[in-house]
Amino acid sequence: MSNPKRIIIVPCSGIGKTYGTVSREAAYEVIEELRPQTSQLVPLSKLVLGDEEARTAVSENQVITIDGCSLACAAKMVEVGDGSVAKEFAVLDAYRRHRKLKPRGIAELNEGGQQLAHVLAEEVAEVVDELQGGQDA
Amino acid sequence: MPEELTYTQDKFTFHVATDRYYNAAGVWAKAEGNLITVGVSDFFQQHNGDVAFVDVAEVGTAVSAGDEFANIETIKVDIELPGPVSGVVAAVNEALELQAELINQDPYGAGWLARVEASDWTSDRAALMTPQQYLEHVKIQAQAEA
Repeated sequence: MSNPKRIIIVPCSGIGKTYGTVSREAAYEVIEELRPQTSQLVPLSKLVLGDEEARTAVSENQVITIDGCSLACAAKMVEVGDGSVAKEFAVLDAYRRHRKLKPRGIAELNEGGQQLAHVLAEEVAEVVDELQGGQDA
Repeated sequence: MPEELTYTQDKFTFHVATDRYYNAAGVWAKAEGNLITVGVSDFFQQHNGDVAFVDVAEVGTAVSAGDEFANIETIKVDIELPGPVSGVVAAVNEALELQAELINQDPYGAGWLARVEASDWTSDRAALMTPQQYLEHVKIQAQAEA
């Protein structure tokens, strides 16, 4: 799971929560479409379960977290997993910056939620580049 | 920091400030002379989650107790808030425009919503709950959802 050349992204695991879904959709877009060569997802659930591979990934690499709410479970669990968070994102903060993109839906996001996830993904991708020193942008 | 009553259920502790009155929606009203400061309770903010945006009636707007005076959008729901007092809006908390999270962080202080110049506070107050009554209201709501 661990690739020292990649930036680790840990999204919210809030199942059944709209903002959790936005965080995961943003993370998927980054690792699958925007920065597939330089980013890698670690599921928060694996950190919660103490998965050794997941803990190694966050402790040996730079980590970006995308939290759904102020509980900031992703950021907290990275620290519990002996990692340090290079950059924290919060879906709520992104929504406050883009009020027209009101997210709704859980299993399937509405148009606003999809657009918000995309905007957030682009912001995360920029930080991936910064953390990589711009080499793979 | 006002004195508080508390109710704990599971991992949640709900605080009820004792220096103000409450309506059933969780809106509090605190009087300083005829000027009534209005906000939402700790139970309200814990129950409804992180606040994204809040829209309050503009300064100069006439409001009536029981009628909507503000709308709060949280990560869970959009809520129209019934006001606890009749009168004219004298001030709104402009800090909430950029820091709506103040409602979650300090619901009885920096997270206040508006100040209303009351037209008949004595009558309005009689229709509101005392802190002890509101604590019982919180217990019933919290237990019903447990």
